[in-house]
Amino acid sequence: MKRFGMGRIAALAGVAAAALLAGPVAAQDAKELRMLWWGSQPRADRTFEVIDMYQEANPDVSIQGETVGWSDYWTRLATQVAGRNAPDVIQQDYRYLFEYGSRGALADMMPYRDEILALPGVSEEDLQSGMADGKLWGVNLGVNSVAMMVNATAFEEAGVRLPENGDTWAEVKELAIEVAEKSDQIDYGIEDSSGYEPAFQNWLRQRGKDLYTAEGQLAFDESDVVAWYEFWADMRDSGAAPPPDVQALDQRSIETNQVSLGNTAIGFANSNQLVGFSQINEDEIVMRVFPLVEGSTNEGHYFKPSQLLSVAASTEFPEDSMAFVNFFITDTEAGKVLDVERGVPISDQVREAIRPELDEDGLAQLEFIEGLDPYAGTLPPPPPQGAGEIDQMMISVGQQVAFGQLTPEEGAERLVSSAESILSR
Amino acid sequence: MSSQSDPPAYSAAAAAPLVMRNGPRARLTRMLGPSGAAYVFLFPWLAGFLILTAGPALYSLYLSFTDYDLITPPRWAGMDNYVRIATNDPTFQDAVRVTLTFVLLSVPLKLAVALGVAMLLNRGLRGLTIYRAIFYLPSLLGTSVAIAVLWRQLFAADGLINNLLLGVGIQGPSWISSPDTALYTLVILAVWQFGSPMIIFLAGLRQIPADIYEAARMDGASKSRQFWRITLPMLTPVVFFNAIVQTIDAFKAFTPAFIISGGTGGPINSTLFYTLYLYQEAFGFFRMGYASALAWILLIMIALFTAFSFLTARYWVHYDD
Repeated sequence: MKRFGMGRIAALAGVAAAALLAGPVAAQDAKELRMLWWGSQPRADRTFEVIDMYQEANPDVSIQGETVGWSDYWTRLATQVAGRNAPDVIQQDYRYLFEYGSRGALADMMPYRDEILALPGVSEEDLQSGMADGKLWGVNLGVNSVAMMVNATAFEEAGVRLPENGDTWAEVKELAIEVAEKSDQIDYGIEDSSGYEPAFQNWLRQRGKDLYTAEGQLAFDESDVVAWYEFWADMRDSGAAPPPDVQALDQRSIETNQVSLGNTAIGFANSNQLVGFSQINEDEIVMRVFPLVEGSTNEGHYFKPSQLLSVAASTEFPEDSMAFVNFFITDTEAGKVLDVERGVPISDQVREAIRPELDEDGLAQLEFIEGLDPYAGTLPPPPPQGAGEIDQMMISVGQQVAFGQLTPEEGAERLVSSAESILSR
Repeated sequence: MSSQSDPPAYSAAAAAPLVMRNGPRARLTRMLGPSGAAYVFLFPWLAGFLILTAGPALYSLYLSFTDYDLITPPRWAGMDNYVRIATNDPTFQDAVRVTLTFVLLSVPLKLAVALGVAMLLNRGLRGLTIYRAIFYLPSLLGTSVAIAVLWRQLFAADGLINNLLLGVGIQGPSWISSPDTALYTLVILAVWQFGSPMIIFLAGLRQIPADIYEAARMDGASKSRQFWRITLPMLTPVVFFNAIVQTIDAFKAFTPAFIISGGTGGPINSTLFYTLYLYQEAFGFFRMGYASALAWILLIMIALFTAFSFLTARYWVHYDD
């Protein structure tokens, strides 16, 4: 490889020179955009089909799609942005949106709202999730929420009634113990979500708290964490939840969820993942809202952007990128192709256009979101810088408590002090 | 690299008076002198090294003194990163502990297995090339996703290992997801890939003259005495070479832990290799400056380890010729 050092440099110089000379000319006849997203093969097929539709309608624009899995996605994006080679249109996650936005990597979409990015059928409320300080960093691609995935077949075979929306944690615990005892096919009732941040957040919100304040500080304290860890210790001791070495097989993917592994009858995931759960599991999977905390506000859920579409600040073609985002989110034909695979579309028109064409799981997802209002509160403030690291800390400390290396009190102390030190960094 | 640079310099000096009096090499030598000509021929490699290796390495040294989030320009931070690593980073200590455990366990075990298999294969077997290929196979497979999946299956709660144990009445844990055992499954994975040191040992064994063994047998030396008195001492240069190479490799191990733990280094940081921690800091948490400092500390650790090996080598490595 080293031998080609000079050749490579010469080639680079040549390309650079050619780009300098040809830049403005090339820009006029073919506008080349790049779009980057994460996800599965079915998602890639749908996305490429929509890209083709757009290119057909806009022959002067060509869009090159790139897709990778979630775990490689953020490495890829970070290196491309650092190398000043950011894709023009970027699929974003609510957690990372503001990390990129506040560092100046994303274009403010607000100035395009009047015309190019009119987003017909989209309410201002749905845009809130992409906004901070009056700037629009990304547009919601679909609505989802955390959800309980329930193996209905396992419950049926065991002769235990299914958990229902509105059940309390105490009730779900009893059902979980019962199904674990009576079922032949599963050993435990419910996944141990003591290290699963969205479950902790849902529970905190029902107690009138949250993960983070609008100022980017912790919105919970040690006593909350102690109660949470003690609650899950009781779930494990009672046989409702699996022991820690079984739970640790979970790698935050549909494939490694305890339900998919056949270990528990109840797991926790996101509502748009129902499609994936149904594909992987032969058993029937149904969705329920998270259990309620007795005497609480009940409003643990919120309507969460499953993903957002952003435009890079560095793009050569902001107008065309914005126009493509507008098409992707509000065109009814594109919507029919995209289905509810990325969550329930935010545009009223698109939602109504696809409703008659949805299959059973798609409809279940749509109805889950539409029936979520009694259990949903306001959108929490955007997570601060370092939230990703704290999420990882939650997994690790949760495991330390579950494996008995720390008491709930010690775990709570460690989690809060590490989180505070990460936030102050 | 030396194979590319040495021959031209050598032939320019030696052959010029005979046949190359007016050729381009001879002209170059006349113009620049013999060492100048050498540099001309070295230039392609040198340029590649400076631009693609030394340049980025020096840049990372600079970055290690900055605060750099990959998106906004780096800001000078002086010794902050190093001070934090030394005084205020428990995860760093976890990562060092995990990595040292891995190095100290996997390298000796791997070398022992490699030497053992090499000795078995060095008994004039028929079909040696086939056996050699079979034993080398795991190293070729490397740490691919398929191997990681296989490992998860083998060492899961209801995996093959536990089924075997169940046969003798032992109920094993889920090895791969228990913090007490997860690292050892990675050590076994590393040991299993003993192919390249085995090949080198095999070559080394063949260098030992047969008449030494013959003389030892005549004097009535037992097999084990032959091993400790002849084989091992004669092999020490090869052991030394293998130990250095494998140690450096083990320090830099990344893929097995990354794939088997899903990139987290879990459960509870029990498989958080140093390089995995470095990767998380750089690309997961946007701290490229801090990660660069971690990288330089790893370099220093490896350098110290290697220097220590070379210093002690004179006491146990025998070069007969």
